Amino acid sequence: MAGFILRKAKPNDVSDILRLIKELAKFEEMEEKVMLSEKDLLEDGFGDHPFYHCLVAEVPKEQSSDDHTVVGFAMYYFTYDPWTGKLLYLEDFYVMQEFRGLGIGSEILKVLSETALKTRCSGMHFIVAENNTKSIEFYKRRGAADLSSEEGWRLFEIEKEGLEKMTSR
Amino acid sequence: MDFRLRGAEAGDVPDILRLVKDLAKYEDMEKEVKLTEKELLEDGFGDTPFYRCIIAEIKGETSSDGPSHAPTEATGAKGAPVVGFAMYYFTYDPWVGKQLYLEEFYVMEQYRGLGVGSQLLRHLSELAISTRCSGMMFVVAESNAPSISFYKRRGAEDLSQEEGWRLFRFDKASLARMAAPAEE
Repeated sequence: MAGFILRKAKPNDVSDILRLIKELAKFEEMEEKVMLSEKDLLEDGFGDHPFYHCLVAEVPKEQSSDDHTVVGFAMYYFTYDPWTGKLLYLEDFYVMQEFRGLGIGSEILKVLSETALKTRCSGMHFIVAENNTKSIEFYKRRGAADLSSEEGWRLFEIEKEGLEKMTSR
Repeated sequence: MDFRLRGAEAGDVPDILRLVKDLAKYEDMEKEVKLTEKELLEDGFGDTPFYRCIIAEIKGETSSDGPSHAPTEATGAKGAPVVGFAMYYFTYDPWVGKQLYLEEFYVMEQYRGLGVGSQLLRHLSELAISTRCSGMMFVVAESNAPSISFYKRRGAEDLSQEEGWRLFRFDKASLARMAAPAEE
């Protein structure tokens, strides 16, 4: 039975974190959209003010066929709901295909839930693509509510070009 | 009427809560506001701020000589009426990095049409650019047509429509269940 551990990411995990971000993006057919570099991840996650936090899942070297021992990760940060306060926002969540079914995903969610409760968050938020039925079921089985469905929220974005236009108004 | 924008200070917390409740009332959700001034103070002005605010206040007025419909409760830390705010924080996109997330954005009804909203957005855009964010994100209720137009006019894209993203939530009860799963 394969064993694994979960731990907080360290600065020298950034190359694995970037690798897993790219793998997840490839799965969504969006690999060329990943613009971040290891340097960005290092500055942004392990500098004076971390903009994100990561949990990584690691297996012993003998269990890994290709030398990678970091086989899964979750990237999260804290957000704020003006009605109820702090929230834990789960941004990215991925386990390499060959290491699924071992309970890594469930364990990650468990640790994140503990973190959220310990930091007195009133909930955990995340977005899922509407066609990702497997993930939707994974989350709904654990009690997640689809706020887009229930409350009609739509996610918007203004990109850099739009921001620049607004600064020169 | 002239107004100015500034970063919120600890003394603005009562006004921030008042405006949060005003906006909730507008959405018929006032009793959903559970936050207290104490929490807003700790969470926004402690060691690690979990949110930041830009405040809009009316220049040259104090609560005593303001228009009769500007209630005394609209008094800012220095006596200037606080009439609007934007609450934001930084998020992280694993493909492009830092983003500015606009959580709440509100101007009191009687102070609209002065350009406060546009100025707030402009200020936020400058902030996003100077902190090297790749964009600004926010959610809007699908039924809020005036806000949707306001944002689309400024170049906002509806990612829910274009990319099919749906926002999900685990509430506290679900978190507690996941944190200590029952014996199989």
